[in-house]
Parts: sequence; C-alpha cells; structure tokens
Amino acid sequence: MLRSIFSLLLFVSFSVYSQGSDSKAGKTLPAATIKDTLPALPVKSDRYGLRVGVDVYRLGRSLFDEGYRGIELVGDYRLTKKIYAAAELGNLKYTVDDTQVNFTTNGSYIKIGFDYNAYQNWLDMENMIYAGVRYGFSNFSQKLNSYRVYQNSTLDDTNINIIPSNYLDEVTVQADKDFSGLSAHWVELVGGAKAELFDNLFLGVSVRINVLITDKKPADFDNLFIPGFNRTYDGNFGVGLNYTLSYFIPLYKKQASKTEVKKEVQK
Amino acid sequence: MKRLIGSILLLLLISCYLWSCEKDDLCPSTTPTTPSLIIRFYNTNNHASLKTVTDMKVFMEDRDTITLGSRDSIALPLRTDGTSTRWGIMYNRGTTSVVNDIDYLEFKYTTREEYVSRACGYKVLFTLNNDTNSNPNPVITDNSAESHLWIDEYEVLNTNIENENAAHVKIYF
Repeated sequence: MLRSIFSLLLFVSFSVYSQGSDSKAGKTLPAATIKDTLPALPVKSDRYGLRVGVDVYRLGRSLFDEGYRGIELVGDYRLTKKIYAAAELGNLKYTVDDTQVNFTTNGSYIKIGFDYNAYQNWLDMENMIYAGVRYGFSNFSQKLNSYRVYQNSTLDDTNINIIPSNYLDEVTVQADKDFSGLSAHWVELVGGAKAELFDNLFLGVSVRINVLITDKKPADFDNLFIPGFNRTYDGNFGVGLNYTLSYFIPLYKKQASKTEVKKEVQK
Repeated sequence: MKRLIGSILLLLLISCYLWSCEKDDLCPSTTPTTPSLIIRFYNTNNHASLKTVTDMKVFMEDRDTITLGSRDSIALPLRTDGTSTRWGIMYNRGTTSVVNDIDYLEFKYTTREEYVSRACGYKVLFTLNNDTNSNPNPVITDNSAESHLWIDEYEVLNTNIENENAAHVKIYF
C-alpha cells in the first residue's frame, strides 16, 4: 500500500512538472508574436529519428524494494508527422506476497505498437501528448513459494457470548513449486506525455490499460502476475504505467510540406 | 485535443483506482473452499427417519468444547495438515436429568490441494480411507469412564469429501 502511494506521488509530481515545462515554453512565444513574425518565418522542418530510453520507475523500485528487480527499455521511431512506431522491452523478477499465496514471477516481455501525437507543437518544439496501442508478449515462469489453505472451520456455538472463530489453526504450506515455460499475449491502450527537458532529453509518462488475449496457465495455479502485463484482474484486464527518461537521436530532417505551411499562414 | 487529455485523465483515474484496490479482495463466502465432513443422525430403529441429538457438544482433545445444541446434523472440519482427525461428540441421553455420553469418531483420509483463486488461495479435498472389517473408518471409541457407546451404527455415503452439498456419513443411534 505504501509502495503504491509512493508510486502515485512520484507520478503526480511528474505530471505537475511536465505541465510546468510545457506552459513555460508556451509563454516564450505567445500567439501574437508568431502572427507578427509570420512573413519572416524560417522554413519549418521536423526532425526524424530514434528515441531510446529507460523506465526510471522500475529502476527506482528495484533499488528500494527487495522483492522487485525489473528493467524496461523503451524506444520510438518517428514515421510521419504524428505517428511513431514504439516498443518496450523488459525483464522482471517480482515476489508477490498476497494474503493467501506468496509467489515469484520471473520473465521477459516485449511490446510493440504505435503512438499518435495529438499535441500541436509551437515551431520546433517536440513535446508529445499521445495515445497509442501495443501488442504485448511475455515469456515467464511462476514459483509458488507458499500458500495458506483456506478453511472455514467455524462451528456455531449456541452460546452467543462466544464469537465464532476458526476451530482449527490456519495451515501454511511451503510449496516451493516451479512452473516454467509460461507465456501470455495481450493488447494495451496507451495514453501519455513526453516533454523535452534539455536538448534531446525527454521525460515521459504513460498509463496503460491491458487486455489479456491468451495466456498459458500453470497446472493447479494461476498467472496472478505477468511480467509487462502486471497484476491480472478478473475479466482479463490489467493496468500499467511507466516513467521514462529517453534520448532522441536525430537522423534526418524533413521540411513540412508547402500545403502545411500555407495552412499555418492562413491560420 | 481536449477529448484526448480527457481520455488520458480517465485512463489515469481508472488505473489509480485499480492500483489502490490491490489487496482489498476477500474470499467470498459463496465460493466453495475446504469442505467440512457432514454427518446426519438417524434413528436406529427406523433408518429412514432423522433423529435429533439432544444438547450436542463437539470437541477435539486439548481444544475448546463447542455447544451446538439439539440438532440432527453437523459439519465437522477435518485437519488439513494430517491424515486423521478425532472428534468427540457428546450427547445428553438423559430424559429427566442430564446424562452426558461421549463417543469419539476418528476419521482417516488422504488429502489433496486444489487452487481456487487469488483471494481464496488453495482448498484441501479429502478422500476417506476404505472402511473394512480389519480397518474400520471412522473408528468409534468410547470415553474411558463410560461403559457403552451411544452410537449404534454408521454408514459412509461418500468417501470423497469435495463439497458440502450432501451428507458424507450417516450415524444411527
């Protein structure tokens, strides 16, 4: 619980920060200035290239959470003015201590898909507010460390002063069972933002809703957590987030087409 | 644009909500978990008619005695960490004054566990050992201070204790 509050705080602090940088950048070039200088506007060009980075949330959590060791590399490649090909590659070993079961999930995952940038940038700014989709695949193993036998051994005493409680002691079994060769396929809906902090250095955040297509379940156990997909809920859905620091490697520039420039002049 | 920011906010809200309810799920009482052994009591003289055990009390040795009251059926939990469970059943056979009579029933079985769900974890199912002349199951013994059993006969209806839908054992007295 503490952990989730912490992650939420981290998350909120970032969203505030990124908004701040956006508005600051906006202020330096108010709309009026642009209109005044339009005739002298340099030929507008967009930079195309590869952006690679790492998820700092997973890195950070690996440092302070003993049962968590995860890394996620992210990358995107600009295809057109608004569309980016995007991918995430990760590895995770995570021990989940639930009330009834304690298990360790270990495995790797890959997610590939597209992002659509809906943010109208000023001049040569390259910030993003985007929506996207991913196809995700994970190969992993589960280790059932221990479980509690769920037994309701309450006997109804006619004496109303006796509070009904379990008659037998709770039994915890050290199972130490390995289930390997498991896999899962899913689809993610992504929403997020990327802001340029310094030259070519971007801070990004994204939230995801995952829908499980199919998974190979262990015999007499379940995939309660899947690397990349995260915790599984009833109805085959899950949620995720990442929090990335990435570097843009410019490869080439493309001039905005004449019609596009014209359109902007008309505006 | 506004719609997009709105939908991202919504996505954020939903995920925060789901994140925060991570440990809140409880095992619903309607989910079948580890079953108890169900015994119904019948009349020795008329095997078809249920008979009420007056002032029934049940206990395991070295544990509390549970006063169940007068009833014709009980659900006794079995130990999941062993292969036998011994229950004492006390019956008030007196008609005018209280005459308590204790008989012990020892059930022998094998166990196997089965996965239920995240919230319920695992349940244990039991299979009663076969009841033979040389190895009766359950073993019925008298309290050492008493000279006769109040239980006359028993009948095992189902050796597989996998649910609590029907009686597993009939006892005649």
